[in-house]
Amino acid sequence: MGQDGTSTDVVQVQDVTRSFGDLQAVAGVSLRIAPGETYGLLGPNGAGKTTTISMIAGLLEPDSGTVQLCGEPMGPRHTKIRSRLGLVPQDLALYPDLKGRENLNYFGALQNLRGKELRARVDEVLEVVGLADRAKDPVKEYSGGMKRRLNIAAGLLHRPALLILDEPTVGVDPQSRNAILESVEALSGEGMAVLYTTHYMEEAERLCDRIGIIDSGRVQAEGTRDELIHLVGELDQVRMDGTGDLTAATDALQQVPGVQRVDPVGGGLVCAVADAPVHLAAIVTAASAHLELSDVEITRPDLEQVFLHLTGKELRD
Amino acid sequence: MRAAWAVALVELRRFLRDRSNIFFTFVFPLMLVVVIGAQFGGGAGSGRVVLTDESSTLGQRIAAELDARDVTVDVGEAGQARETLARGRADAAVFIDDAAAAAFDAGDPVQLDLVLASTSGSSAVAQQVQSAVAELDREQAGVAALVQSGVDPDLAQDAWWDGEGQVPPARVDVVDVDDVSQAFAGVTGFDVGASSQVLLFVFLTALAGSATLIDARRHRVIARTLAAPVSAGSVVAGQALGRWVIAFFQGTYVMAGTSLLFGVQWGNVALCLLVVAVFSTVAAGAAMAIGAVLDNEGAASGLGVGLALVLAALGGCMVPQELFPSSLQFVASLTPHGWGYRAFAEIQRHGGTLVDIAGSLAVLAGFAAAVLALGSLLLRRSIARAL
Repeated sequence: MGQDGTSTDVVQVQDVTRSFGDLQAVAGVSLRIAPGETYGLLGPNGAGKTTTISMIAGLLEPDSGTVQLCGEPMGPRHTKIRSRLGLVPQDLALYPDLKGRENLNYFGALQNLRGKELRARVDEVLEVVGLADRAKDPVKEYSGGMKRRLNIAAGLLHRPALLILDEPTVGVDPQSRNAILESVEALSGEGMAVLYTTHYMEEAERLCDRIGIIDSGRVQAEGTRDELIHLVGELDQVRMDGTGDLTAATDALQQVPGVQRVDPVGGGLVCAVADAPVHLAAIVTAASAHLELSDVEITRPDLEQVFLHLTGKELRD
Repeated sequence: MRAAWAVALVELRRFLRDRSNIFFTFVFPLMLVVVIGAQFGGGAGSGRVVLTDESSTLGQRIAAELDARDVTVDVGEAGQARETLARGRADAAVFIDDAAAAAFDAGDPVQLDLVLASTSGSSAVAQQVQSAVAELDREQAGVAALVQSGVDPDLAQDAWWDGEGQVPPARVDVVDVDDVSQAFAGVTGFDVGASSQVLLFVFLTALAGSATLIDARRHRVIARTLAAPVSAGSVVAGQALGRWVIAFFQGTYVMAGTSLLFGVQWGNVALCLLVVAVFSTVAAGAAMAIGAVLDNEGAASGLGVGLALVLAALGGCMVPQELFPSSLQFVASLTPHGWGYRAFAEIQRHGGTLVDIAGSLAVLAGFAAAVLALGSLLLRRSIARAL
């Protein structure tokens, strides 16, 4: 669907660039997001994520390239189409001195919601983010997690086709984080396209149907989690602890199909294998012939390793 | 336009939500009106006189004559009278001793001591006192003439009063040819103080609120607002409208408060509101410019308050423009406050019409157009910077 670039895509970004003086923040980014799809945009600080998001949100004009939302051009001069967009910025873009409901009333009014419809939508999103009982309190009295949830609620009021969530879980407690992630999963399930950025790899793995890894203003790789892992050639690791003849066990393991490499680690061995679950039985059999195994553990490569491979940096750098 | 109203409404709501504004917007201006009103005389009626004796016939008659001339009379011993004068709480004191009282009762010539304070109205009050005493002198002479011509002494006094009742009372109008006195003719100190405070606080309140603009930009609320189907022009218009509403509200509040509490006479209220409306536009534009240029809320508040006070002082809102030397009066004409002050003075003191204030209003409108255009331009740039 989205991967093929069909007309059903909610967002189509085509080779956009943007410079600030001599600094080229975005050097040619293309991406597409389909309805109901959650797209993760991951990159180290300064990679061009925020600039890309600003262009998709219509806040910044690209120097070149195009952004389309629901098939219509998106940019600072195209105000009407922005009613299809919900932006949840990384900063808590709320008025702390106003009550939660007053904040939502304001952002709803900007989306041309009025009267009963506005009240109904405000009530609905307050329920979604679990703040109905605190709606009459000033935002400055909220906890960090509650502010984050209200920040998200403000982006949902008008049922946008695309919801941009820019690091929505920064600085929140585990309970609030889980509530936020569940909300995002539910929204995606209802057909909303979600563009999600985060510094937490486990969030990307849990939420995102596809992930784009951006660095130096370009999308370095894009695909599902498994596609990205295969793309960079990362292997599963099977670690075996035990006593016996490690040299003979190493020789035997190297004969097992799929095993690429065997290394001694501590009192055991670690095999690098393309698809560990498929070959696990043969590996254990070969090792058991020479070792008395006490523990076997499979470690599959994760996005953190992919990210490190592609960017040379940790995601939290 | 709906979006602009939404932005304006939220600005107004935030302003009213700030508890410190309750004091600075609602209480403080009225306190200053009292202070300035007291400083400039508290009233332009016929003044205040202290008598050192009101028990004698002479004292009672002088008090009655002064009262008939709308002069406020207090009674106190000689020491108290001097202290009252020294503190500027009365314009004059009339010292009546026992000898003078007895001489008056006997129909003999009387000599009284009149001491004046250093207040602006003391010379006028002195004339009122002299007029009152002259009236008593005339009465005494008239009664004596009747007695000499054979009228019973008891009937002579009644006959004099009957005759006096059939003749319109003598009236003394004190016309001070001094420019300053003429400028303040017919107005109380509260009137002058109130119009000055309208100008001071309209600007002060608007400029102090410039910090909320920085706050909204810093929290990326403006960026989020622009991610909605809202143009940058609507955001700028909303910010201007919100600040204008706050400034105009402040001005009308001071007008209403001083009218109800201190009986301030505003003259043609519609014209005064027009002046407040145009002046509020200048204030709104200035607030936007400060909020757009600065990125620090504390600095914006400090600069806003400082600028508002300096402009108010130069424009005649702390010391009346009429007391300025000519060089400072020229400086006042470079400030919007100076023109607002002149427009109010024309309306309040001289019953000015729209034609009379057209010049001042036109200059104010020029200020408003220029400052609002500058504020809008700077705000647009700051919004772009915030993205």
